[in-house]
Amino acid sequence: MKKLIFYTPVILLIILSIFLYLSLNRDSIKMESPLIGKNVPSFSLIELGNPNGVFVTLDLLGDQKIKFINIWASWCIPCRAEHNVLKIISKIENVEVYGINYKDNQQEALAFIDQLGNPYKKIGIDNNGRASIEWGVFGVPETYIIHNGKIIYKHIGPIHISELKSKILPIIKELS
Amino acid sequence: MSLFLSYLGIGLLYTCLLTSVLQITIAKQVNSKLLINSLNLSLVQFISCMLSFLILIYVFLNSDFNFQIVFLNSHTAKPFIYKFSGTWGNHEGSLLMWVLILTIFNFSYSFFSNSNKKLKNMTIAIQSFLIIGFLLFLIFTSNPFLLMDEVPSEGLGLNPILQDPLLAIHPPLLYLGYVGFSLIFSLALAGLIISEVDKSWAATTRPWAFTAWIFLTSGIGLGSLWAYNELGWGGYWFWDPVENASLMPWLAGTALIHCIVVLEKRNTLQSWTILLSILTFALSLIGTFLVRSGILNSVHAFASDSSRGLFILAFLALTLFVSFIIYARNGPSLDQKIEHEFLSRETGILLNNWILLSILFVVFLGTLYPIFTEIVFGSSLSIGPNYFIISLMPFVFILLISMILTPFVGWGSGKFKHIITNIQKPLLLSTALIFSLSIYYEKLSITEISLLILSSTLIASSLKDKFILSKKIFSISTTLGRSLTHAGFGLLIISIIANSAYSTEKIFQSKVNDILNISGNQFVFTDVKQSEAINYNAIQAFFELRKNDKTIEIFTPEIRFYSNPPTVTSETSISHQFFKDIYIVMNIPENQEHINVRIHIKPFMNFIWFSIMMMICGGTVSAITKRRNY
Repeated sequence: MKKLIFYTPVILLIILSIFLYLSLNRDSIKMESPLIGKNVPSFSLIELGNPNGVFVTLDLLGDQKIKFINIWASWCIPCRAEHNVLKIISKIENVEVYGINYKDNQQEALAFIDQLGNPYKKIGIDNNGRASIEWGVFGVPETYIIHNGKIIYKHIGPIHISELKSKILPIIKELS
Repeated sequence: MSLFLSYLGIGLLYTCLLTSVLQITIAKQVNSKLLINSLNLSLVQFISCMLSFLILIYVFLNSDFNFQIVFLNSHTAKPFIYKFSGTWGNHEGSLLMWVLILTIFNFSYSFFSNSNKKLKNMTIAIQSFLIIGFLLFLIFTSNPFLLMDEVPSEGLGLNPILQDPLLAIHPPLLYLGYVGFSLIFSLALAGLIISEVDKSWAATTRPWAFTAWIFLTSGIGLGSLWAYNELGWGGYWFWDPVENASLMPWLAGTALIHCIVVLEKRNTLQSWTILLSILTFALSLIGTFLVRSGILNSVHAFASDSSRGLFILAFLALTLFVSFIIYARNGPSLDQKIEHEFLSRETGILLNNWILLSILFVVFLGTLYPIFTEIVFGSSLSIGPNYFIISLMPFVFILLISMILTPFVGWGSGKFKHIITNIQKPLLLSTALIFSLSIYYEKLSITEISLLILSSTLIASSLKDKFILSKKIFSISTTLGRSLTHAGFGLLIISIIANSAYSTEKIFQSKVNDILNISGNQFVFTDVKQSEAINYNAIQAFFELRKNDKTIEIFTPEIRFYSNPPTVTSETSISHQFFKDIYIVMNIPENQEHINVRIHIKPFMNFIWFSIMMMICGGTVSAITKRRNY
């Protein structure tokens, strides 16, 4: 009997290992949006810096490219921090980055782009925040990944460079 | 050149791998005069790893972006020290450092220790097995010497919150602690296999166990200091999973060093000591697994990848499974029954062990429970500091009481009278002191007051007789280490209680020229400036602490905008005074006019750091003092 007690660590270890193994297969970091897997919401916005142009749902459909929708504003400091990451993303092959400029002053938004560079293929002006509500935005910045007209992934908050490596790049790789 | 270095670095790692395999094959060899002996091989292991690590440092210092690891984690505009520390500020580099430390311990053990040949060879073989495991992990899942297809002109940078001088030395120290316990594990398993766990085993093991404990304690202390300075939340311990991962081996290791002392003196508790040795290293491995696999959501979860997690888990499970099987087979026959009365030092230390393990269990549950609920119930939850504080409080009580009493109980058998005569004065003195103080300071609860009394009794009883040169001058040296460590622990508890009871914090939305009042201190927000450094731009705010219209001190919290990688951080401005810290941090402005400022007044912070230093000094003294046999 006393000898059996010495086997308790082995048993506990087996239980713990199974438990840790199960935990590995779980994706805890993903913050599920109810929109994941759904179709792109319908919206139509005027283009920033181009009063005759529009940015509409149709822009996100039609081809095989992976499209990023980034909700940003010039008054949002984390967006400023995130901007360089977006520039890196926009240079990746087969990827396009679009912007929705959320409740912003147009002059300041344009100045922001002039100063920091423009990773966006098109930027839509969302002055009253209606389109952003359609997208289910909680706050700025937020980024959506779209493929074949469906929302694949939603990132809340600025994309940090380490998240680019750990989350975003694997998704791009999987999709292409 | 880069190609050459890359091949050389990998080649050296393979050399180390090969040597480690050789090391295992010669485990049974007794003749140490041969060229291929364990000492020479461990020297080759160490040198090949060291050179490989130096190559990695070299490419980081040179910003050689041919290397993927440098491209991803460094930048030419980074200050020298962070290029240097960037070497281990990432997964691959830190893993190489881990292997390097394994070889350092292996080499120093084979060089310095004069344990018998049989134990030594077996220990080195087991240590080499661990080295092989981690080398395979390094080479096949996390090769630091991978080259880029195209050479970029600039790197992506190092996460700015990791750009702190404290963080340049915190991981190496923590690793020295974690990995130090690998040697204790190897010694334990070797002793178990050759059935030689006795006084001389304990005498061989003790200095190494203390060394590992000292490093682990310093590593945890520095990590805490970093969190306090850098994270800007005004706290020094968050019960964050990563912090808990380092606390758990510390608790087991603390229990272990006490058992080793008992074994060395009284030749008892053999199987228990071995179990603790395995457990301590197991917890170090689990800690690494938790941090590296990213299964925990944590403020510091920076390097996560599930395939890596799987490898560590497999290695961990295999190593521990084999060790525990050997333990179950050989453990029961190790124990030698040495009679001791119930009231004896042995009982006290065992009781202490159980308290430490209970604390460990509470921390373990609190750390893993969120994962458990997510697997079983599919919903995640987070466990806050309250869980830990409330559940640990009773254990800290018993721990303090047993720490006060045990040193005055004799080995084998103790006398009540002796205990009472020794703790009488410290207890009365502390009670009187704390009661009179608590009348003046009203905020304290009954629990806090009793904890304060116990802690100060612990300090007084530990230090009593220690600095008075009495006729027992020779007995002073053998217990000085313990006294310092225990008194340090008492001071730590006092500082933590005083700090939590008297910390105040206030948040202001303020404009320039606003006057901010917090618990009798008057701050004037005088100015905001922009500044530039090589790798970031900053907004600096200026606050003057005034007394009777005279400026006493100027605080300059900052918000920094790092460009590589793009990150925003808040830099705290802290003034360390003797009894309190004043801590100012500014948040990202919500609009143009106001900035958001938090001012913390944190009493007794210096005492927290000082008490940890006392414990480290005490540990050092204990490691080098000779034991008397009973």
